[in-house]
Amino acid sequence: MSTPIIEVRDLSFCYPGADTDTLRNVNLTIERGDFVAVVGGNGSGKTTLCKTFNGLVPHYWQGEFAGSVHVDGIDTWNSSVSELSTRVGYVYQDFQNQLVRPTVRDEVAFAPLNFGLADYDDRTSDALDALGIEALAERFIWQLSGGQAHLTALASVLAMRPSVVIVDEPVAELDPARAHEVYRRLTELNAHGITVIAIEHHAEFIAEYARSVVLMSEGTPVWHLPVEDAVNRTEELEGHGIPAPEVIVACRALGAKKAPRSVQAAADFIRENTREDAWKQSIRVPATQRDTSEVVLSAREVNHSRKGVGGKAQPILRGLNVDLYQGDRVALVGGNGAGKTTLLRILAGLDVPRSGTIEVAGVNTRSRSAARMANLVSYLYQTPSKMFLRDSIEADIRLFPAGRKADDVDELVEKVLTRVRLNEFADRDGRTLSGGQQRRAALAIGLAMRPSVLLLDEPTSSLDIASRDDVTDLLNELSDSIACSVVATHDMHLVSDWASRVLVLADGHITADLTPADLFADTELLARTNLVPPQIVRLGSALGLDPPPLNVADLVKAVRTSAVVEA
Amino acid sequence: MSERKTHDVLSMEWIKLELIRTAYATRGGLFAKMDPRVVLLWYLLLGGAPWFTHNITVLAILFGLGVISVIAARVGPLVLGLFVLSLVVEVINVFVVAWFVGGDVGTLLALSELSLKLGAVSLASMAAFVSLDPEKLSSALLALKAPVMLAFSVSYGFRILPILIDEFSIVMEGYQLRGAPAKAPGFLGWRSVSRWGKHAVLAFYPIFLNVATSVRTTVEALETRGLNHSVTHPEGRRLRLSHLQTGTLDWIVVAVTFVGIVFAFWVGAVAPIHR
Repeated sequence: MSTPIIEVRDLSFCYPGADTDTLRNVNLTIERGDFVAVVGGNGSGKTTLCKTFNGLVPHYWQGEFAGSVHVDGIDTWNSSVSELSTRVGYVYQDFQNQLVRPTVRDEVAFAPLNFGLADYDDRTSDALDALGIEALAERFIWQLSGGQAHLTALASVLAMRPSVVIVDEPVAELDPARAHEVYRRLTELNAHGITVIAIEHHAEFIAEYARSVVLMSEGTPVWHLPVEDAVNRTEELEGHGIPAPEVIVACRALGAKKAPRSVQAAADFIRENTREDAWKQSIRVPATQRDTSEVVLSAREVNHSRKGVGGKAQPILRGLNVDLYQGDRVALVGGNGAGKTTLLRILAGLDVPRSGTIEVAGVNTRSRSAARMANLVSYLYQTPSKMFLRDSIEADIRLFPAGRKADDVDELVEKVLTRVRLNEFADRDGRTLSGGQQRRAALAIGLAMRPSVLLLDEPTSSLDIASRDDVTDLLNELSDSIACSVVATHDMHLVSDWASRVLVLADGHITADLTPADLFADTELLARTNLVPPQIVRLGSALGLDPPPLNVADLVKAVRTSAVVEA
Repeated sequence: MSERKTHDVLSMEWIKLELIRTAYATRGGLFAKMDPRVVLLWYLLLGGAPWFTHNITVLAILFGLGVISVIAARVGPLVLGLFVLSLVVEVINVFVVAWFVGGDVGTLLALSELSLKLGAVSLASMAAFVSLDPEKLSSALLALKAPVMLAFSVSYGFRILPILIDEFSIVMEGYQLRGAPAKAPGFLGWRSVSRWGKHAVLAFYPIFLNVATSVRTTVEALETRGLNHSVTHPEGRRLRLSHLQTGTLDWIVVAVTFVGIVFAFWVGAVAPIHR
């Protein structure tokens, strides 16, 4: 057996100015050609550990460093970031910020050029080729979608032909279909002998793609196990903020000893261990009667287009019609670039469409300024930090009601802060909060505007699972104060847990208006719009349940009611 | 109140697109086809010549050459609009100043000479820098032995510009929506203007912090991708410059410009206005 690619011995590291060690006595061996998932809660030292592999720790972050790290036989202490970077490629969680050149080709050629490698052109083509993005080579960086930008960042590190590629939470900023795409590419690279290290929160990706798992806690690895063993330790993982994949929970509930790693494996397990005909019988979810008496917002024949760099107008919305009713919880779904954000901005009256009308509570958005429309509708940006204008979240929440001279400002701010459970952070700058807290703070800002319609853009993207559930719960509680909420999202868990109505936006108009259950049953529609249903729904579909169950309990019930599990 | 409409020009989005188009020379044009080093040389010629004369005849012809260059370079409406605006303001200023100081035709001529001179130089600058996208400018600087960091900063500066504009427009939108509502605009809209100005100053804080957090990743990434390495090792510079090549077009443009300048000085000597 060859020497390990990474060997960490007795490593401790403390950031300059920090009170405690971020890494404590780490001993870890990573074999050549492994596909390692590094998991652990926030602040467990995952990212810092990975930064010791390419020398950013201790050469860029010069803290107290003890112990040793060997990468490909090189002692990182005696090396430099430049030298190590030719062996270890790093793709950041906020990968958009690591792109520094105007075009994709320039970006990919950047590192080989800096290192003065004469074959930089070949390297660039090879890297683009390996990820199947040659067609994007001449594009400007700001024309790329999130998924394309991530692949570009990956290509730019591949151009150095590294032995190790580290990817920091690729799922965080990408929709599930793109995230699966990135993971498939990583698997291909791994098959060609590149060691892949992925920092990841999502158990379903770990189970499906990784070969081994390192669990980090308080700066030290708890264990490093083959993935088959790791995914079976569901309780331990849950204790570290990584809930088990739904298929594993479901199979456990049905008596499985060994956890299946993919939807297919779970379906096979259930087929083998239950009587064939049994689970064909599904439980039908009673269709909820929708109250369509009170229209809160209506859009009629909305057309909109936007001019691009080329100067040509790109049509985004074409003849869109929709009515939103009192009590609606609407999930607006559709592929990247379908125009979800554009539509939300138009519904909020921030922009007006080129033609067509939007009426919110009977008020035409053309007749009032965006600032006055804000009394009726509020729109929350995808990135919460874009809503933090002042130096504390309390001041941010206060801004709107105080500016409009409401007479109960103090009371309102207090109430909203309590509602989002951020009282103790009231005087902190929003940017210093964790991802989940930032979302809740942004939500509080929206609530303090006391709108009748609340529009949210991807409220759960880039959150770990615990914070995501937190935000979903909060949205569930809002129905009493908001007449109607619309959420543009890729997060199918949010759709199944929260939404009462799904609008599918494609080709510039609403192509489908249905319930979450009907959406997940329509495989053709899902494929066309680049949506990946939650695991449990896919398992239900794989078993032929129609409509597929939306949560683990329903699936277990459907399978168990008439089946005897023998495993 | 009039109805709201979608505007394609004079919006934040338009300014951003215009800057990108201007910066990356997506409109094409004569100088965009040339070797960046020669464009800089050409700029030294046409941008430098006006400084060596006070003769209005010469300056007028050089100004004319500048106008031709700007047309050949396909300068976009934003930059051109700003130029024309500043020129008009300048002309008005000249008259007002001349009138105030109780000057005669001589004063007027002296002042318009300066305007003409600055105008000619600005036209040449617009033509050159609109055609040199940041990458070419950065290569040209490298070729002229400028430090790697300076050359990189030029190109990164343009990369971050659209990001800054986006940040600015979002923060301003936030203040417009959530801040105290606008009162009556007041005389000449002074209240709207002062409100906008106040928000623009307040916008500095969130923009600064938002950009600072994202730049932290950028700086680390630059380190891993060998920017510092290239500062101390010259191979990268050589590779980057290896594709630079001068062609016939380059030298024809320089020659024609040179003849044009000589012609201007000759006419100036034959028929001088104001020295």
